[in-house]
Amino acid sequence: MGRFVIRRLLQAIPVLLGTTFLIFAIVYALPGDPIQALAGERRVDPILAATLREQFHLNDPLIVRYGYYLRDIVSGNFGTTFRGLPVSTIFEGKFAVTLKLATTALLFEAVIGIGLGLWAALRRGRWEDKAILAFTLLLVSIPTLVSGFVLQLVLGVQLKTSLGIAFFPVAGVQDGIRSYLLPGFVLATVSIAYLTRLTRTSLMETLRADYVRTAVAKGMPRSRVLGRHALRNSLIPLVTYLGADLGALMGGAVITETIFNLPGIGQQLFTSVYLRENPVVVGIVTVLVLIYIVANLVVDLLYAVLDPRIRYE
Amino acid sequence: MSNDTLPAESAAPSAQPAKQEKPASLWSDAWYDLRHNKVFIIASIMVSLFVAVSAFPGLFDTVGVAPVTCQLAESRQGISAAHWFGTDNLGCDVYSRVMHGARVSIVVGFVSAVVTGLVGGALGLLAGFYGRWVDVILSRVAEIFFAIPSILGALLILSIIGRDNAGITSVVLALAILAWPMILRIMRAAVITAKHQDYVVAARALGASPGRIMVRHILPNAVAPVIVVSTINLGAFIAGEAALSFLGVGIQSPQISWGLMIADARNRFLEAPLPLLFPALFLSLTILSVVMLGDAVRDALDPKLR
Amino acid sequence: MRVTKGAQIVAGTALLALAVAACGGGGESSGTGSTAGAGGAAGAVRVEIAEPQHDLIPGNTTETSGAEVLNALFVGLVDYDAEKKPYNRVAESIESPDATTWTIKLKDGYKWHNGEPVVAQNFVDSWNYTANGANAQEGNYFFGSVKGYDEMNPGEGKTPTATTLAGLKVVDDKTFTVELKNPFSGFPTMLGYTAFYGLPKAAFESEGKLKADFGGNPVGNGPFKISKPWKRGTDQTISTVRNEEFMEGKAKIEAVDFKIYTDLNTAYNDLRAGNLDIMDQLPAEQIASAKQEFGERYIEQPSSGIGYIGFPIKSGADYAKNKDIRKAVSMAIDRKTITETVFSGTRVPADDFISPVVPGYRQGACGETCNYDPAKAKELFTSAGGPSMGAIELGYNADGGHKEWIEAVANNLRTNLGVEVTPKPVEKFATILDDLGAKKWQGAFRMAWIMDYPSPENYLRPQFGTGGSSNYSGFESKEFDDLVTQGDAAKTLDEGLPFYQKADDLVLEELPYIPVYFYQTNGAYSANVKNVKIDPFERIDLFNVEKA
Repeated sequence: MGRFVIRRLLQAIPVLLGTTFLIFAIVYALPGDPIQALAGERRVDPILAATLREQFHLNDPLIVRYGYYLRDIVSGNFGTTFRGLPVSTIFEGKFAVTLKLATTALLFEAVIGIGLGLWAALRRGRWEDKAILAFTLLLVSIPTLVSGFVLQLVLGVQLKTSLGIAFFPVAGVQDGIRSYLLPGFVLATVSIAYLTRLTRTSLMETLRADYVRTAVAKGMPRSRVLGRHALRNSLIPLVTYLGADLGALMGGAVITETIFNLPGIGQQLFTSVYLRENPVVVGIVTVLVLIYIVANLVVDLLYAVLDPRIRYE
Repeated sequence: MSNDTLPAESAAPSAQPAKQEKPASLWSDAWYDLRHNKVFIIASIMVSLFVAVSAFPGLFDTVGVAPVTCQLAESRQGISAAHWFGTDNLGCDVYSRVMHGARVSIVVGFVSAVVTGLVGGALGLLAGFYGRWVDVILSRVAEIFFAIPSILGALLILSIIGRDNAGITSVVLALAILAWPMILRIMRAAVITAKHQDYVVAARALGASPGRIMVRHILPNAVAPVIVVSTINLGAFIAGEAALSFLGVGIQSPQISWGLMIADARNRFLEAPLPLLFPALFLSLTILSVVMLGDAVRDALDPKLR
Repeated sequence: MRVTKGAQIVAGTALLALAVAACGGGGESSGTGSTAGAGGAAGAVRVEIAEPQHDLIPGNTTETSGAEVLNALFVGLVDYDAEKKPYNRVAESIESPDATTWTIKLKDGYKWHNGEPVVAQNFVDSWNYTANGANAQEGNYFFGSVKGYDEMNPGEGKTPTATTLAGLKVVDDKTFTVELKNPFSGFPTMLGYTAFYGLPKAAFESEGKLKADFGGNPVGNGPFKISKPWKRGTDQTISTVRNEEFMEGKAKIEAVDFKIYTDLNTAYNDLRAGNLDIMDQLPAEQIASAKQEFGERYIEQPSSGIGYIGFPIKSGADYAKNKDIRKAVSMAIDRKTITETVFSGTRVPADDFISPVVPGYRQGACGETCNYDPAKAKELFTSAGGPSMGAIELGYNADGGHKEWIEAVANNLRTNLGVEVTPKPVEKFATILDDLGAKKWQGAFRMAWIMDYPSPENYLRPQFGTGGSSNYSGFESKEFDDLVTQGDAAKTLDEGLPFYQKADDLVLEELPYIPVYFYQTNGAYSANVKNVKIDPFERIDLFNVEKA
């Protein structure tokens, strides 16, 4: 297993190079002048523009700029934004916020998604199953923006103004874990739908497997059959999904972060793409790739734990 | 918990095909099942209806969607005989727009879901089945695409392809190119589980070719999670298309899509909920019919249910 | 010259997915609040802002959020009364015999937060710093009218021959003179804006070089001072406390926290929940409910912005080059219904190129051109050959919440003129500006303008003057240029008005842009505070705000 892990981590190097180059090239190829983007709707001063172009190597070809970037990264320098803010300052704290948000969402996903899926599978074809299906469809077709805004309004504002319960903060991160409850749930909504359906299907498959029938036939208690045999073997697709989703939650939380005014990485990524700030975009994506790689590695290791027949190869 | 005899039995008839007759293969069995499945029939009718609407929206609308039919003075009205679903912020008839919006949404949703399902599914099957360097290469390439958040990546891609090429094809491409790695991971996981099952080991011992093992034995047992994720992806793609149009790089007015309607209506949904609710309702119905269809197909393919 | 300001106006109909991107110039999004969090002193008045785009340096601040904070920390030479007329604040007098050389005398008693007295040199140092192209200050262009500016900013590829403005001279501690390139009677109206604040000696590390940490911990001369250095990109709150030594007396509130939000809807919900006290811009879709919910605490007043539809009249498509078509388009736009429904009354129909907030505005100056008259519009359009000129393109930036009104205008034109209209969204406004600059943009485009200083000149020359810094339509007229120059040279602003108005008439006649709507300021405040006033730059007069 040790060798397996080391091999996988070594394989991460080409992946990192590939991703950073891919994103670097994409941002490079984007139409629009980054210096003009900086000035917004005003025309940029030519002297200022020339100075900045020089400073950020904007006149050099792609591969040279990528080279400069790699050189800086190796020496531990993530670069600065066009507005003079070091990228490391941007990272400071923002990743923590997003990681907390994504973890909260992942917990909601796992608990609610697997819970509902389990219930639906056990009640297959009855009204509970159908109600859960309707609920998941609702989650998929109502945009996060709407669900986020409604929850903020009802639980954040109206609960406080009408009942005096200020449990859910409207926005910001000043209230510790409570600050992450609503946004975490909102971020998790679509994924809850995936996990619910996935759990239901996966569990129904295993419930029909022979070893489960055997266990039932042996007279093993229902709860034990579920926990020991059925659920454990159904978990593989679920942890695969959860592992892959962590990165998506971190990079794609821009709407949730905006609604709840959480200073996270999703917003930053969006702003930086908008401003064509290569160093920030590439820096963030690099960290996201690392998270993906580690998450996927952990998931691959879990396969063997969940199903002893699977071996690392 | 070993005697995995059932699948072996079900594989038996197809393993000794009677050349003179039509072979009762797994797939033809499934088709027989489906034709007698109520859920499948209802879902098929619903899907056909949606396809009909998206092919000939003009047959279903009431006032048409030519922008000249929008009267700003009739902005944000409720349900009436003239406007079955009310009007939106610009005074356009929501019902007619829902009918006309079906085409883009359904095409983008279906095509993207099918493309990612096939590509991700096929690659996941290979990665999971062969393991070793095949897995290393495919999985690592997937990881390269994985780290780019989907809507953001699609936005970037469409910005490069250029706003002049903004059409359904580019949107599908931009959405699909970042979504297949997830399917690959799901399929790979399912295949890894399935290939250690006894019936696969047995088939291998009997000297079945890798291709046959993959298609006959592993695929039917590993495809369920992919179908599940793909059906929900369909909804996510429709929403993704909206986000892109909204950002100015996707489908553009005067073309309409459900996603775009939802996006346009969301700011004022407290004041005027109808322009948001109706496209969302139709989006739900589409996903519902596809989910039902997916469940039915999966059940029909499952040899253990026979 | 500001074409439009940043997030605040853009966010009028902010679309959330874009709220981040929609920061006009795009802000670095807000920082981690974990450290600042609730921030500041208990009982501080909490004011909503977007994240300032730069550190808190007056010369580098041309967007409203930074200006809002700096307005609490600094006072300028002049300020503006309810009629938008300048009155002296730090200045004792601002006089000129010929509108070219201005003598500015300072009052006694103003002090910087560190105890230094405010002297004439402070203004000269600050202005020289901002006017120096090498310092890359956003407010640089404000000094373009001062003598010596061209030597400091000779243009791309040339070496500057000066590092200070030749037109600035310190006479004594309390007096300095400013020599302009050309006479400009409206000069005093410029001096209240952020870029014209002075800077204390302590701000400079050496001559002409600002201390690196000044922008996070600025030393001002205003009613409030920074209580905790602000880290841009990290802190979500900028905390200030009352300056007990302020020359004009103590402010009535002890502390002000500026809370950074990326979305107006979020801030509005915080306002309703009592976590925020003052917002000077509300989300358009909440206006109706805000009026009811806040009653007397709801603020509605004209603001300086104007929204247009522009045409490249020299290099554009046939329809863009044709004056009658432009007039027909203008007459086919139902401004009243658009402002009432699409904007929920947060904008009002425009009828002049000069905003109602500055002297010189004439109600109905646009005449029948800005009146909704579909029949006449169609007639004019047909007789000018419009039907054979192809589809009209309407460009707009997708990041600013312009889609709805552009679509509404498009529907107006389709219905009333029978013409095909293609709304054409682009990712951001800069794309349109680039294309216009390169003469590649053929169709119509949306445009907006916010004043830099309350003078009609600011609405005319930059946008329509020959070689104007924001002249995107290609409008050129010697007569127009002469009239504006004559207006500038008049002894007083009032005497200059007739000239500006004649110049205005020329633009209205040629119609390179179609005025569509005037912006409005829509704000609200919590029951914690009272006496909240907002100035024409949309800055809150925090000095006079009281606890309720």
